[in-house]
Amino acid sequence: MSIDNSMYNNVLSIKIMRTKAAFHRLVFATFLAAIPLIAHHSFSAEFDGTKPIQLAGVVTRIEWANPHVYFYVDVKTPSGKIENWGCETAGPGGLLRKGWKRDSLKVGDQVTVNGYRAKDGSKLADARYITLPDGHRVFGGTPGDGGPGDTEAKKPGD
Amino acid sequence: MVLRFCQWLYDSGIGTQIRESIWVFPIIETTHVLGMALLVGTIAMLDLRLLGLLFKQEAVSEVASRILPLTWAGFAVMFTSGFLLFWAEAAKSYYNPAFRLKLVLLLLVGLNPLVFHFTIYRSVATWNYQVVTPLRARMAGVFSLALWTGIICAGRAIAYFQK
Repeated sequence: MSIDNSMYNNVLSIKIMRTKAAFHRLVFATFLAAIPLIAHHSFSAEFDGTKPIQLAGVVTRIEWANPHVYFYVDVKTPSGKIENWGCETAGPGGLLRKGWKRDSLKVGDQVTVNGYRAKDGSKLADARYITLPDGHRVFGGTPGDGGPGDTEAKKPGD
Repeated sequence: MVLRFCQWLYDSGIGTQIRESIWVFPIIETTHVLGMALLVGTIAMLDLRLLGLLFKQEAVSEVASRILPLTWAGFAVMFTSGFLLFWAEAAKSYYNPAFRLKLVLLLLVGLNPLVFHFTIYRSVATWNYQVVTPLRARMAGVFSLALWTGIICAGRAIAYFQK
């Protein structure tokens, strides 16, 4: 009887060990999967990659701020109406790495923005490329956000 | 009134400096994440002891007295770094539904241990060594785990509602 019991206990303890090892692998895999979350939020969380938009106009306001820099542009529509569009870019650190300076953009500057519209249909765009007043074309996307033109994000098959 | 206070914080020198910084903001954010591991990681151990899933041979009061100092240290890190992030974003956080939900959950997660300590924990001597603790103690453990999980989810969601 006691022998049977100890055999049973051995089998049970092996089963528990296997379950524990599987659990540890699951925890580890979950941590690996969470690494891309370090980007503030992904491009596709807020913007629609199938809705490109070009905005040309005058800068009315700049928010040089974490976690994303915003600037606002007055754009003249074909019907002559003026619309104020918000443009989201990376944070200050991300923009500096892409060659922006804090004074690269000033209120009153004429800029052309190539970006993508927000999914909610508001007058907000993710500014992927911005043509600055001096003719320089700079990338404005958040590094690693997986959006169009993002060279720091891993693509399938990398 | 609250909005005015948020706007005042947002416009203040320190708030603006954090918001416009290159390194300070991400360093505070990272500290907030590290503090989360300390705070929630340690309180979860006590919660799991109450549920009879961890440190089953140890007295509940022993587990609590060893772990809670670490939890409080984590709380200090979280509160300080969290307040600095709020300082930089206050005027935007005010409108953020995920941030509002997080504040409500934080209030509840603060009430939970108060209720626990002033009710069932008073009689801990009678159930200190039970693997499975009384229902009210287990409920405190479940509430704590659920609320902290909700707080982390709501905190992460702030980024998706910030405009």
